[in-house]
Order: sequence, then C-alpha cells, then structure tokens
Amino acid sequence: MNQADLQALKNPLLVLAAVLLAGAVAIYATGQLTASAQRQLTQQQAQLKEARTRLQKSGEEKDIIVRYLDGFRQLQRSGFVGEEQRINWLDGLRLTNQQADLFGVDYQIGVQKPYQFAGAFSPGQVELNQSVMRLRFRLLHEEDMMRFFNILARQNTGIFAIDQCSMRRIDTGGVIRYQPNVTAECEISWITAKVAAAGKQ
Amino acid sequence: MADKLLIGVSAQGATVGLWRGNRIAECHALANDESGHAAFRELLASFDNLPAYLMVDAVEEDYRFETLPHAFGSDRAEMVARKLRQHYRNTPYMTAWLLGRDAGKRRDDRYLFSALTNPELIDEWLKAVVARGLPVAGVYLLPMVSAALPQKLDIKAGNLLLVAPHVGGLRLTFFRDRQFRLSRLTRGDSGKGENRARYFGEEISNTRLYLHALRTMTLDEQLTVLLLDRNDDLADVAAGIARDNPSLECVRLGRQELAARLNLAESLLDASPYVMYLHLLGFRAPQSNLAPANVTLGHKRYQARRGIYMGAAALALGSAVWAGANLFQTLMLRGEEEDAARERAQLSAQYLEITRQFPAAPASAENLMKTVEIAQKLRESVRTPEMMMAAVSRALEASPTIVVKEFGWKYGTTEIEAESAGARTASPAAAPAPESPAPAGPAIVRKQSGLIEGEIRPFRGDYRGAIDTIHAFADRLAKEPAVAAVRVVKLPLNVSPALQISGNTLDSPDQSATADFKVVVVFKPNA
Repeated sequence: MNQADLQALKNPLLVLAAVLLAGAVAIYATGQLTASAQRQLTQQQAQLKEARTRLQKSGEEKDIIVRYLDGFRQLQRSGFVGEEQRINWLDGLRLTNQQADLFGVDYQIGVQKPYQFAGAFSPGQVELNQSVMRLRFRLLHEEDMMRFFNILARQNTGIFAIDQCSMRRIDTGGVIRYQPNVTAECEISWITAKVAAAGKQ
Repeated sequence: MADKLLIGVSAQGATVGLWRGNRIAECHALANDESGHAAFRELLASFDNLPAYLMVDAVEEDYRFETLPHAFGSDRAEMVARKLRQHYRNTPYMTAWLLGRDAGKRRDDRYLFSALTNPELIDEWLKAVVARGLPVAGVYLLPMVSAALPQKLDIKAGNLLLVAPHVGGLRLTFFRDRQFRLSRLTRGDSGKGENRARYFGEEISNTRLYLHALRTMTLDEQLTVLLLDRNDDLADVAAGIARDNPSLECVRLGRQELAARLNLAESLLDASPYVMYLHLLGFRAPQSNLAPANVTLGHKRYQARRGIYMGAAALALGSAVWAGANLFQTLMLRGEEEDAARERAQLSAQYLEITRQFPAAPASAENLMKTVEIAQKLRESVRTPEMMMAAVSRALEASPTIVVKEFGWKYGTTEIEAESAGARTASPAAAPAPESPAPAGPAIVRKQSGLIEGEIRPFRGDYRGAIDTIHAFADRLAKEPAVAAVRVVKLPLNVSPALQISGNTLDSPDQSATADFKVVVVFKPNA
C-alpha cells in the first residue's frame, strides 16, 4: 500500500476510526451503567435480606432488649459504656487510698487507644478502648496491694484489668513502726466500650 | 441510483446498461462515432464512484489452451506472465485462466490464455470512463461472459454450440461439458431470408470442421446447436438447420423464453443483442479479466473503500447491539432493584411498627447483648497477682532462709523479663511500648508470669547449701498445680565453665558476700 492508496482510503479509515472509537465509548459507558446497576442491585438485595431477617427476628429482639437492658444501663452508670470517666477513676483512686489506709497513690494515665485484646471478645459493632494507668504507691504489707485493688473494684467506676505489678521491699533498717515497708508499681488498663445509639448502626 | 455500469463494446458501438438491484434497469445503445462517444461522456457525467464493467465482442480475440508445469505462488505467476508476454506482445488486455490439473502423470496445470488483440477497439470508451474517474472493475471478452449461459438457460448438452446473430456478424461459441472451448465471430451480415438459413448452416459446418481440426470434437459426435433468437425471426433458420443436418439437435430459444429464463424484461432485448450478456456480467463477472492492474487500480481502491465502510457499518451495528444489550440489562437490573427497594421499605415499615412496642433502649438489641456479654467476659478474663503470691508463699514456707527482696508479676502474651520485674517507672514515656492491638481472629493466649528476686540469709559462704535451697524452692514452686514452668535465672554463684570465678575463702561471708538469686515462674495459660 503506497501513499496514493492511503490518500484514497483516508476518509473511510477516518470513518472506521470514528466508528471504532464511538463504539468502544458506547460499549464502555453502557457496560459501566450495567456494572453500577448490578452493584446497586446486590446492595439492595443484601439490605432486603437483612430487613427480612430483622423482621423475622423481631420477637427475639424484644426478648433480648428486656433481658439485657438493665445490665447495659448498669454498665453505663459504671462508666464502662460511653466516654471515659477519668474524674470518676481519680475519685475512685482517692477513696480507695483512704479506705485502704495507704500512704498516697501516684498515678499517670496514658492516651486512649483501641483495646489490644478486643479481638478475643468478638466485639462486632462495639468499639473497645483502653487507657493505661500507671500507679505507684507504698504499702505497709504485701497484702495491702490486693486489698487496694479489691477496694478499687468495689468503687464501681468502670472495668479495669491489671497488666503487671512489681513490689520491692523498702529497707527500714529494722525499725518497727507504722511506716511503708513495700513500694508497689502497677499498670492497669481501664477498658471502655463505645456503642452506637439505637437506629444509628 | 445504479449499482454497476455495464458496457458492451463492439466495433459498431457500445451498449450501456445500468445495473440496479438485481437487474438491468436502463439500456442505451451508442454508435462508435463522435456523437456516440459524446453521448457516452454525457451519460457518464451523472455517475460518481460507479464501478464499470466492460465486455468486448470483437473478431480480434484469441484463445489458447495450454498446459504448464504445476507450480504455485510467485513461480506460477512469473511463469504465466512470461507465457502471456510471449503470446501477446501488442496488447495489454490479456489473461490466463487456470482450468484445473491435467489427467496425465505429471499433473500439469491446464490454462486458457485469452486476449483482446486490438486494444484500440475499447480505447475511446475506456478513456471516457477513466476520465470521469469511475473505477474500472474489468474488461472481459463476450464468450467468457457467455460461459455462464448454458447453466442459466438450463441446457444440459455435452457438446453445445451457442449461435447468436450479433451486430457485426454471427457469434458461435462451443462448450464441452459446459466448459468454454472455442468461440468465433464471423464478419459480415448474418444474411436475410433463405440465404440466412444457408449462411447459418455453413458457419455451423465450418465451426464443426474447425473443431475437428483442433481435435476438440469429431464430426461423428452429437452436437446441440442453441440458437438465441431474441427477435423471434430465426424459426425458419432453426428448421433449415434441422432439416439439412440430421445429426444435429437444433434448439431455438425465442424472445419470450430467453427473457423468462434469464429473468430479463423483454423490452430490453430490443435494445441490443448484448443485453443478455451484460445481464450475465451484472450477475457475476467471469474470472478471466483482461484488464491490467493499472486499469483496475481504481476499482481495487473502490472495493477497499467499500470494504472499510462495510466493516465500519458492521462495527457500528455490533456496537449498537452490544450497547443496546447493556442498556436492556441495566433497565432489567434497575427494575429488580426497585422491586427489592419497595419490598425492603415494606419490611422496614412492618419492623418499625413492631419496634414501637419494644421497651426504649439506648442501643440495638444486638449491641445491648454484645456489650453486656463483653463486660462479663472482660471481668472473667481479669487476673491479679494474688494467685501467684499465694503460690510463692506456700513454696517459701519450707525455706525460712530465703528472703524475697522484689516480686514482679505480669499478665500478657509475653513473659516477664528477668532483668526487669514489672513496671519500675511511673513515666509512660519512658516505659516500654505497650503490646500492639491484637487482630481479631484466633484467640490470643495470655498467661501470668512472675519474677522473684531474693537472697539467702544468713549466708556464710556456703554456696552449695544456698544453691540447694534455691533449687528446692524452685522445685516446690514447680509442683504447684497452676505452674507451667519455673526457671532459676540467677544463682549466687555462676558455675558455668564458660565464665571465670574469683574470690577468697578467708573473706568474711557475714560482711561482704551475698547469695542473690532470681527465679521466673510461668503459670499455665488458663490459670
């Protein structure tokens, strides 16, 4: 094919290219429409299935609400559900120190982070967070440490887990009087849950 | 709008047929003079891009049957071209038609070489076509075109002599088994009245003798003579031939029958004897095209253009069908989606109606249940150092010489470090990074571990006794049901052969030597 042949076929080739382009655009555009419609249908069908299941389980749902509502509200009051109640924690620490007759508690609370062992509880839509609190306090006796934590737990200021502790004997030089004999350092995690309000899930 | 331009050229003039649909729509007979040429040019002026097919009826034609060694590809093309140049030096209008393979041992190729030996005959007409810019599809000899006639007229004779009076004389074409073998155009008038029957008879006899001389057919063989009588004036000739030549079968096809068999308007037969051949040419052009490549170049481009346009049309149609199918499917899917949405809305309304009777709750039922269950599990998962402290206390009861200086405890996925007994610092920034959030999936195993740092008191340099006491303590600890492992990580004296030991036996152990040790305890995972 030479230059003259190409010149003679210029217009048909341009038409062919235009048709090819237009055809490709039309097929692509309509294909996109079809794919989009397919996606929307799939989504709609999933929602329909969910609605159907929800309706079928509505009786069961009522039973669950009746059964768990009180427990849930109690957890709300204790501060486990909802935003962190750090003031409550500190109040709890202060009261515990008083009730356990300790020599004061140093504390430091870290930033809130997702709870590292949340996966073990299959939380679903419930978001579990933790804030690590480091405690340093002095004890008259080793058993005071467990007493301290038991009293703290009874303050009902939330759920906490003890991650690690250490106790070191203080050298008092053999003098026996009312004074701290052991220093304790502990790390505890205050765990809170964020739950979507009804109808917002 | 015509589809093809069919031009039958003879020494006397030209017959121009306009092919439309599947038939000749118009026919014009033009004389071979200035006025005829002018009329032809005027006729062509109204056409654009119309392929022209030229058919020539001339005495100046040549046919040769030859066999050539079997070859293919460029070898065959070169050999045939060389042969054509040998035979026809003075004309560009020549061609070779491969008829098949020879029956002999060598299986040579059989060719029919044909040519128009007087190219000037078509020059004026062809120039006009080229000047108008119409693509020339080909130049064909009339006998080659007429090869389709026996089949079209449904004549089954083995030896068939087609006889037709033309403007310049009588055209006699011989077919054997419907294959072209010979054709001749006699010069002069085809005769009138009684002379005409004799003239026809003589030309038929001459042709038979010629065929006999060429060894194409013997005189004894049965021959069918087909008279094409487009004017219905050869009935007496047919009768005369039949009477004078009993060995011949003479078949005459009159005007009506010719028109019927060829599916041609009778009125067109009046215009020219070439109309029926042009009709055949319009249906299908024979393979033997005499036109050289430079003449048909325009037609090749025309065909390429048409092919591309047809391809584009097919592409457009295919795309339209595809896009249409996509749109149809989209509509169907949207319909289904609307149905699903409607049903979902109904179900949601029913559900809302039902939930109005539910007690007011701050979260969904599922989240209520989940949260309470998680809180319960969290409480169950909590561990305290109490259990380990109790185990250590029990193990210490039998060893009053052991004094615990420091106790560390950890509940995590990793064990407590022997060098650091738990949280030593109150500064989070200085503390080791907390364990990263564990991904959801298989349950993560956490376990309690502890580090006991102590010393033997009193210690009087009796390393053996101290080490025995520490090991006994470790053994008692290991016997606790919750304990998975106990490791003594530090002893008062490292007796490893890899290390150097130094000291003095006179040193007072009460003053300077100590018997420190470290023991790591690991609980079973579920303890």
